Amino acid sequence: MKNITKIVLTAGFACLALVACSKKQPPATEPAAEEAPAAEATATAAQPGPNADSLAAEQARLEAERLEAERARLEALINQIMSEDVYFDFDRSELTEKARELLAQVGELLLKEQRFTITIEGHTDARGTEDYNFTLGAKRAMKVKEFLIAYGVSADRMESVSYGKENPKVEGSTEEAYSQNRRANFRVNIK
Amino acid sequence: MFAVPSAFASIDTIAVDVGISVFKTMPIGVVPFAEPKGRISWSEEKPHEIVTRDANLSGRFDVIASDKFNLALFSRNRAKHYITGKATVLSDGRVQLDCYLYVSQTKDLLLGETYKVQQRDMRRAVHNFFDKVVNRLWGDRGVASTKIAYVSKIEGVKQVVVADYDGFHRSQITRDTSISMMPVWMKGNKGLVYVNFKTHRPRLYFKTFGGVENPLFPFLDQTYSPAVNPKTGELLFSSTVDGKTDLYIGNMQTGKARKFAYLKSNQTSPAWSPFATEVLFTSDRGGGPQIFVMGKDGSDMRRVTFMGRYNERASWSPTGDRIAYTSMDNGHMNIYTCALDGSDITQLTSNAGNNEHPTWSPDGKLIAFSSNRTGSYQIYIMRADGSNVTRITKGGENTSPTWSWFYDEINP
Repeated sequence: MKNITKIVLTAGFACLALVACSKKQPPATEPAAEEAPAAEATATAAQPGPNADSLAAEQARLEAERLEAERARLEALINQIMSEDVYFDFDRSELTEKARELLAQVGELLLKEQRFTITIEGHTDARGTEDYNFTLGAKRAMKVKEFLIAYGVSADRMESVSYGKENPKVEGSTEEAYSQNRRANFRVNIK
Repeated sequence: MFAVPSAFASIDTIAVDVGISVFKTMPIGVVPFAEPKGRISWSEEKPHEIVTRDANLSGRFDVIASDKFNLALFSRNRAKHYITGKATVLSDGRVQLDCYLYVSQTKDLLLGETYKVQQRDMRRAVHNFFDKVVNRLWGDRGVASTKIAYVSKIEGVKQVVVADYDGFHRSQITRDTSISMMPVWMKGNKGLVYVNFKTHRPRLYFKTFGGVENPLFPFLDQTYSPAVNPKTGELLFSSTVDGKTDLYIGNMQTGKARKFAYLKSNQTSPAWSPFATEVLFTSDRGGGPQIFVMGKDGSDMRRVTFMGRYNERASWSPTGDRIAYTSMDNGHMNIYTCALDGSDITQLTSNAGNNEHPTWSPDGKLIAFSSNRTGSYQIYIMRADGSNVTRITKGGENTSPTWSWFYDEINP
């Protein structure tokens, strides 16, 4: 979960910038022109006077709330993308109809959140050799990448990797387990 | 099918009826070594037990066991020779092993060797003697001193380990928190080349025994399926860029690598011919994986396997006449051999779980492989005709065996 902490940090800076030109001002605050220096001041040195102090504290609290909301929103998006596994048929790398629908949703999210970059991981079930399964996992990851490129996501925001049969989602040698493991999934990073 | 050495002609042999075995084996007597009563506490097996195991695993002998020299028994079973010896404890605590190969009829000494070793090195000494016996009676180099590298799941993580060919004396080579796999032996058994996932991508590394780990060809993405050229030590391997997998050839000393063949299909699982003149590999050009062969310059490509939809990971027998590979049928993996034109297909394993990753012993008599026939994956050795299957690992999960080159006098 290193990603999440990184998100908090990057999201934090982004929100500070947002606050500075935000239109939805809390009623108790001064006009925007004076607000930005106040926000900075809280970060550097305390303003003299009890009134300014409470204002600054209120300001910080609201900012923290907004940061938290933004962080939660990004985390929810990332979790959504990371939970969208795309499944394949045995020894096949073609995208199924269901996979396309799912990938369209992921593509939509990626177009909305331009700061997201993704790693597409291709996997196979336990049957077959390690070697050939690497090539098969790579083909699956590539089909996903090609679909997202066609959807409008820039290729340099995506890298693909094959795990072959080395990283199963479900242990076991039943068709149920196999079908869960023939998949491509995503790791999300923020630029 | 198997070349008969000239020394063979004078030796009485019988064909052992084990399944479909076409092996000619030689009966040999084994008598326990003389030892001072109660002076030696054997931590593992006694010398004659090691000899017996070597003889049984070798695919060359039939052991005629006897508590003491018994000419009637040996003659009845046509054991023209027998092995015995003597163990004594030296003043410095080491063990002296005197190992003998005798002619049964005359009790003439054919071969005698003396080893002075710590008890933990005793197995190695007996293996060394046994290889000399093989050389004396068959005119061949034996494999009793060879080793096998394989992948063992240790605390949930796949690690590369090395053990003697009989499964004893396992030592762990990688100690990583990420997966290590696909070990192969560097030329001269100096170390191993393998794949590790520490960069979250499959990448080749090499490690000499006692040395440190070094990344190989870091300028290439997703490298795996290593195969060491038996003549030059060069490395043939797969590299995957996005969805495309190609064969590359690289020099481990200079760190340089180039694409080996420019083909539209994906290629993986390369394997060299014994004299490194040709290369086996797997291509998916027909949809599923099939085995192909081409010259070392990429010329004269032809398909080898036509039966079934999934034929993968071929390896060339050291005698050069056959290949072993894994085939999948109804979701089960089994090991086959065939001639280089794809004819004379022989199924070596059946009705026993999955059987995969065949690797030839350097003398071509044996094949090691991994199987989950008992529930968990373990390493087995069988004769090259599929007979005499013997498990050499127990516990955990053990996969992907690769046999070393001949050891001779080299020590790791």
